[in-house]
Amino acid sequence: MSAGLSTETSRETGTMTGSDWLLADSLAPIIEGDVLQPLYDGAALGQLVLPFCASCSLPLDLEQQVCDGCGGSDIAWRRVEPVGIVHAATMMHRREPGLVLASAPYPILDVELGSGHRLVMTTADAELSAPAIGDPVHITFRDLGGVRIPSARPHNPEPTVTTSTALSQTEAPA
Amino acid sequence: MTASDRVDLVGLGMTAMSTTPGAAPQELAREAVDLALADAAITRADVDGLLVGSSQGIRPDRLGVAFAAQGGFGDLRLLEHVEIKGATTIAMIQRAALAIAAGEARTVVCVFADAPLVAGRGAGSTYAHSGGQSGTRGLERASGVLGSVPTYALLAQRWMHVSGARPEDLAAIVTTQRAWAVDNPAAVARTPLSADDYLASPLISTPLRRLDCARPVNGSVAVILSNDVAIGHPARLAVRGTGRSHPVRHRRAGAESWFGGGRRAVDDALEHAGMSRSDLDLAELYDPFSVVTLMLLEEYDLTGGAKAGTFVRAGETGPRGRLPTNTGGGQLSGFYLQGMTPLAEAMVQLRAEGGDRQVPGASVALVGGIGGRLDHHAALVLERAA
Ligand SMILES: [Zn+2]
Repeated sequence: MSAGLSTETSRETGTMTGSDWLLADSLAPIIEGDVLQPLYDGAALGQLVLPFCASCSLPLDLEQQVCDGCGGSDIAWRRVEPVGIVHAATMMHRREPGLVLASAPYPILDVELGSGHRLVMTTADAELSAPAIGDPVHITFRDLGGVRIPSARPHNPEPTVTTSTALSQTEAPA
Repeated sequence: MTASDRVDLVGLGMTAMSTTPGAAPQELAREAVDLALADAAITRADVDGLLVGSSQGIRPDRLGVAFAAQGGFGDLRLLEHVEIKGATTIAMIQRAALAIAAGEARTVVCVFADAPLVAGRGAGSTYAHSGGQSGTRGLERASGVLGSVPTYALLAQRWMHVSGARPEDLAAIVTTQRAWAVDNPAAVARTPLSADDYLASPLISTPLRRLDCARPVNGSVAVILSNDVAIGHPARLAVRGTGRSHPVRHRRAGAESWFGGGRRAVDDALEHAGMSRSDLDLAELYDPFSVVTLMLLEEYDLTGGAKAGTFVRAGETGPRGRLPTNTGGGQLSGFYLQGMTPLAEAMVQLRAEGGDRQVPGASVALVGGIGGRLDHHAALVLERAA
């Protein structure tokens, strides 16, 4: 297991004020020069932008530098459709004082996006329970200390809402 | 010296496992080394190799190669800091055995020390505050993934969904290992535990409760390997086989990204040993969370084809079971000292020093190690020499 300890607490002291429903601003990523900056730049525009192999279009891990499919090393960050299905989900009950603002357990989802990427995120708003594996979600964004963070909005199961049929090919609901 | 073709584990030293802040890793390592040297009936002058392991992360007091001087060793022929996360301990055994077999060293000390418990903050809080604000980890932390529990909770939920395991299987692992720990003086949690007690344990991240999580301690374990048959503890434990597997998984549709790919480590270790799974008298697996033991029993093909939950609920990992597993309570009820936890318990059992938890006639043990998010698997087969 990864049980690494660090002393990186410099921005995690101070006040608990924040615009996010869940976390203190001190947890906002430092985006300038970060390996994920294209994702954050896209998110600032309300777009979900993720890395692909520029040669063969394989969806890549967020920090992947060489394509495991074709060996190419050109990475193309592309806008993708903000939809996905739940690959795994947990309700986090432990709420670390000083970091978590919410007063109740909160969801953490591993979402398999329509693009093929998997991305861990929480929900756009507080939820009483986590969606089930296989449930469809829309991707929207939270504002955490001025940084927009991908988050999931569970589908309202009303008949007028159309869900992506393509997604059901990758995983059937439980 | 009298050299043998075989490399044996000839010394074991363990500090007390403390659940409260105290000594620094270097002090703990020094104590464990002293105990291991005494156990092997040798002195530092007999040692020509030193391998050190420590938790990763930015720790100014982390144990490193400077321990050669700090720990009072003389000139060495082998000195390395080994780092492959939770697979480090077995990697150290592999490194030492290869060096000894190649004639690069004769008697090698391997020591791991950790002191995650610091004054003024609980271990969970320390882990929650670590990880930084950059890269993928920074994005995950900005999504509420604080500490290591929620990641393993996602892994647990996914694996249970795929395998059909149920929450009562987790309860069975936890209560079974606690029953082992009751008779282990080195364990930090020795109060008998019922299934109801388990269900009363607070949830940390569904489905994982506090009792599903390892117990961090401040402590150290040192072991000594040698091919010198003239030295060492009278009960000689031979390194019969080792194997590693580092499955490279990706976070994309089409395959599982949290688990799979570890079996080869065990296959290779057994092949190296010239043994099969039916030769194993016990298994000591790396179990930072209850679900990991379940997963590994299936992943390593140790249940004879049964579902891990069925296997555990039938008592097969307990006393008189087909494969007594984590017989000191593991990292859940014993102590979490990363890869040293399963290795130390295997040595105690194979030496027949397990007291009331002794597995009768134990002569062959499988020791496992995992690192990262099940990204690194290491396996070691030990046999008590006749
Ligand atoms: Zn490619």
